[in-house]
Amino acid sequence: MAVSIQRLASAGRYLLQRRVLRINSTSRVRWIFLFNSHVLSAGPHRLLATQAVQHVALNVPETKVATLENGLRVASEDAGLTTCTVGLWIDAGSRYENERNNGTAHFLEHMAFKGTRKRSQLDLELEIENMGAHLNAYTSREQTVYYAKAFSKDLPRAVEILADIIQNSMLGEAEIERERGVILREMQEVETNLQEVVFDYLHATAYQNTALGRTILGPTENIKTINRGDLVEYITTHYKGPRIVLAAAGGVSHDELIDLAKYHFGKLPGRYQGEAPALPPCLFTGSEIRVRDDKMPLAHIAIAVEAVGWSHPDTIPLMVANTLIGNWDRSFGGGVNLSSKLAQMACQGNLCHSFQSFNTCYTDTGLWGLYMVCEPGTIKDMMHFTQMEWMSLCTSVTESEVARAKNLLKTNMLLHLDGSTPICEDIGRQMLCYSRRIPLNELETRIDVSGHCFDVCTKYIYNKAPAIAAVGPIEQLPDYNQIRSGMFWMRT
Amino acid sequence: RTVCHTRNHSFCFIFCFFNQRFGIAAYRKYSSGSRYPNISLSSPLPGIPKPVFASVDGQEKYETKITTLENGLRIASQNKFGQFCTVGILVNSGSRYEAKYPSGIAHFLEKLSFSSTAQYGSKDEILLTLEKHGGICDCQTSRDTTMYAVSAEVKGLDTVVSLLSDAVLQPRLLDEEIEMTKMVVRFELEDLNMRPDPEPLLTEMIHAAAYRGNTVGLPRFCPVDNVDKIDRKMLHSYLRNYYSPERMVLAGVGIEHEQLVECARKYLLDVKPVWGTSTVANVDQSVAQYTGGIVKMEKDMSDVSLGPTPIPELTHIMIGLETCSFLEDDFIPFAVLNMMMGGGGSFSAGGPGKGMFTRLYLNVLNRHHWMYNATSYHHSYEDSGLLCIHASADPRQVREMVEIITREFIQMAGSAGEMELERAKTQLKSMLMMNLESRPVIFEDVGRQVLSTGRRKLPHELCDLISNVTSSDIKRVTTKMLRSKPAVAALGDLTELPSYEHIQAALSSKDGRLPRMYRLFR
Repeated sequence: MAVSIQRLASAGRYLLQRRVLRINSTSRVRWIFLFNSHVLSAGPHRLLATQAVQHVALNVPETKVATLENGLRVASEDAGLTTCTVGLWIDAGSRYENERNNGTAHFLEHMAFKGTRKRSQLDLELEIENMGAHLNAYTSREQTVYYAKAFSKDLPRAVEILADIIQNSMLGEAEIERERGVILREMQEVETNLQEVVFDYLHATAYQNTALGRTILGPTENIKTINRGDLVEYITTHYKGPRIVLAAAGGVSHDELIDLAKYHFGKLPGRYQGEAPALPPCLFTGSEIRVRDDKMPLAHIAIAVEAVGWSHPDTIPLMVANTLIGNWDRSFGGGVNLSSKLAQMACQGNLCHSFQSFNTCYTDTGLWGLYMVCEPGTIKDMMHFTQMEWMSLCTSVTESEVARAKNLLKTNMLLHLDGSTPICEDIGRQMLCYSRRIPLNELETRIDVSGHCFDVCTKYIYNKAPAIAAVGPIEQLPDYNQIRSGMFWMRT
Repeated sequence: RTVCHTRNHSFCFIFCFFNQRFGIAAYRKYSSGSRYPNISLSSPLPGIPKPVFASVDGQEKYETKITTLENGLRIASQNKFGQFCTVGILVNSGSRYEAKYPSGIAHFLEKLSFSSTAQYGSKDEILLTLEKHGGICDCQTSRDTTMYAVSAEVKGLDTVVSLLSDAVLQPRLLDEEIEMTKMVVRFELEDLNMRPDPEPLLTEMIHAAAYRGNTVGLPRFCPVDNVDKIDRKMLHSYLRNYYSPERMVLAGVGIEHEQLVECARKYLLDVKPVWGTSTVANVDQSVAQYTGGIVKMEKDMSDVSLGPTPIPELTHIMIGLETCSFLEDDFIPFAVLNMMMGGGGSFSAGGPGKGMFTRLYLNVLNRHHWMYNATSYHHSYEDSGLLCIHASADPRQVREMVEIITREFIQMAGSAGEMELERAKTQLKSMLMMNLESRPVIFEDVGRQVLSTGRRKLPHELCDLISNVTSSDIKRVTTKMLRSKPAVAALGDLTELPSYEHIQAALSSKDGRLPRMYRLFR
């Protein structure tokens, strides 16, 4: 009989848990483009965008966008499914905090599920669970997201609940006190995940003394002292119509969604009295943090240069470069049969356990680099080959390698767009970053015409001072000057 | 532990110097004449064609179509909105068929998948071919099924099926590829033991305990000692027995059925595999024999953390009982029961919807804060099944933890509340539908169902079956389940672990309590 349920029941449960975990870990950290070519997924559709044609047929539903009077934007894509994802993408994250209230955005995300004027925490939890729905939230450095997954027939209730939790949260003193413990516990949990630790260090050094350098959770001291006033102030300053997007995907009718939005979010304030809070400027500084601990079995190292923000045109060639470097895990195997040269070298020389190339974007800046996990004895070689590959990106990479990376990038981009949640996430994020959803054919054209990545890579990587964060048995990691001098090639 | 902050100030000066000496020149040289349009992603690129979007009219009403070829190969497909498809071959092959071979063959074949074939000189050539069609490939093996799958543009279907046929039936299995696979398998085993999350290891152990030395009880991961025993001859002998057309399904999602059948006729009908004609006579037909039993692994778990932040020392136990095959009607009530038990980690991220009102949360994690984890799992195969609960806590509290779990098992036979039953049913349905949003999941569902039953129960049929489950069904299946001998897996410091006989006694008692032992001397 039914293989599916059991399979799905177990596999699905697993997926679900993983997803939940992933979301919550991404949550505090960042948006990284980590493309994993070994995940089974949809291929892209090539664009026939070769000029001449005036119209091009895309076998995907349109993303419809509307703006309410108070500036809140509604964006959705209807694929006619029986389930859907709907959520609020808010242009507010830890970047808008200062040294004193760092951690407030994340604290607020926690408080959202602790009861409103309409429903107690228990009512909320029971209602969601009885609907077979999921409610989740995450905070990144620049965005706060609340979203629900539900049956399409429950869309109105899901929107109502989202509206309730962001507008009518009780923020009760007792709940706040209790949540401090939970967040401190979460902090411990984050600290066991070395990738997160390394990326927090990387931000701390790359954006030292600026808002992006702070963590999302905030320091312990702040978690212990943030009070109701801080939370209320954060809401009144940032949760305004123009900074919020209501996004949905799966089985959703756009017109119905607009009506729901008008009804439930119509009263959200639209305008600022006086100046809207400005995005705090963040300066990149080439520098390093080393946390040596010889008791740890493996070294975790991230190295990055400053890249560009979300909407900068150079972000596309940088993503191509990113795909070219690729990512690898030693359980992939491969040897000479890998598209990434660095992976070939890592595999043949047994240089590391895994590496991932990343391109983390923010509004006006970004980090482009590599995260690696190595045994203590191979750090030096791994770093050497990484930098060699980076230099060859800037000087000698071949047309065919670039063409292949572009192809792979297009494939991987569409890898994400399977299922209502990834699509909804894409809509929400793009609406905040670009104020529109980039049609797939445009994205593909942009990748196609991004040209050879020589010049862009040279602009951002060649002879730039990197930021480095290293944790573990890192005695072998060359000193900063040596790594710095690997950022250019001397030719005579 | 030393912390060293290097602030940039001291470097500033030096960098300026470097920039002047080499950087700017290089920059000038390469950055001129960029062809890339300098237009922000926030504004549309001018001159590109206007997209015409598709629209959906109402709900999807696709059906699964199935055709059987003359050689016994089944072809199953399901159409779906979109420009991409997922197509693959599923084979009735996996660790459960390895009784006559050294365990680990299926694991090897998974890692060797999509390597060089008759047509393609290397894995890289395969990837390049797929990339032309925006495709990716992947192979996954479980205890009973091996799946080779490709996701690509619909237009590339012909190439994809040809490639799949080659990858499955004509692998070269070169010496260097086998050597590489040995290394990869070793690495994977090493990582498995290093990972702080012991779930895969426990699943392996409880299967070994429940089906001692037979079928699904055989190891899914290649045991370290077998890594060097496996060679091409052995792989060929295995493939000859198990990779025959009647043990395979070609499944596709997002394509026209007729087209898939046509491709199958072209590439999978009159093909002679590289290992010669199959010999079906040697197929292991054993039915899973549930034995129950215990598998223990004493391991020092006091320092499993990979970083400086310690993870508390835990002992893990998994207790399971026999359920039923997924072919039986009782499978659905068991799936509902599993959902009702639910559970998770005491500290797990995620908001409402993760099963906060499941019994393992309400009765176990919320009441016993010292417990670190309590999660229910249901594994089901074509001839047997296993419902198990994984729990972990400090080694000193293992006895108490075991008793809490055995009591939960006994309470399953009590009556389920109307509310909790409805909730579990709704959650099972929503999980099913949400998983089926994704094309690779639909592919797997279509393929597995057709492979094991020859047809596919559609999602709405499954939802109806779930809706029909009553509390008396739950009671009936639980009572039956409680008659089986327990399977137990234990990992970590096991000094406080009760004996297997005591766990068995607890599970056959009325209240699930462990027998009281009054010992004056120990």
